[in-house]
Amino acid sequence: MQALFDLADLDRKHVLEIGPGTGRLTWRYADRTAYVTAVDPWVDGIERARQTTPTTVAKRVEFHPTALLDFAADHGPSVYDVAILSWSLC
Amino acid sequence: MVHALEEIHRLLRPDGVLIDIHPAREAPLVEVHADGRIVVTETYPRAHGDDLVQAEEALSESVRTGVFAEEAVRAFEFMTYGSSVAELRAFFEEAGAYDTSPIDDQVAARRDAMYIRLEEVGRRSGKRAEIGFREPTRMSRLAPS
Repeated sequence: MQALFDLADLDRKHVLEIGPGTGRLTWRYADRTAYVTAVDPWVDGIERARQTTPTTVAKRVEFHPTALLDFAADHGPSVYDVAILSWSLC
Repeated sequence: MVHALEEIHRLLRPDGVLIDIHPAREAPLVEVHADGRIVVTETYPRAHGDDLVQAEEALSESVRTGVFAEEAVRAFEFMTYGSSVAELRAFFEEAGAYDTSPIDDQVAARRDAMYIRLEEVGRRSGKRAEIGFREPTRMSRLAPS
């Protein structure tokens, strides 16, 4: 994950992850952040991510089983320090 | 996709950053590791859809229209390990479960044949064999313009 840490300073940052799936990337960086909000319309993937959340990051990660555009419609501007498109544009 | 990028721009603070991670065009590899070395490597069969092209076009469009400015790009390999072929196969099925489009029969058949070969190699390599999935990946940092 050094490539991610080289490109983005995640320390104590509020992160929006789009497309976490089962959380395979989330677990590798979440401990550095202040908080991770992860959104994915794949309900089964989000459920699996919730079930397998490591206890070390459980208090700083939340998952929303919803599409980005629906999530964005309920949220105001200028909220997040970092957004991560996690294999989700394709 | 372009609308999604515009929404991400809105959600980000003005000094925030967008990190895009998506597969590179090179094919992923599946490896059998045993006793600290790679015993065998196979190319992971995959379908060549338009998804990757569309993703790259959407990113380019967001840069062209001034939504984001691309600041840096890195190529890296994302590794996933399993203790057996069955475990890695279950991971692929789970990770791909969001995609409900039909799987190309030829690709599916090539994957099945690959799993059989890898299982045989794993058996011959003993209990310490581990299966690795090496995924060439492209990561870019974009700043809201």
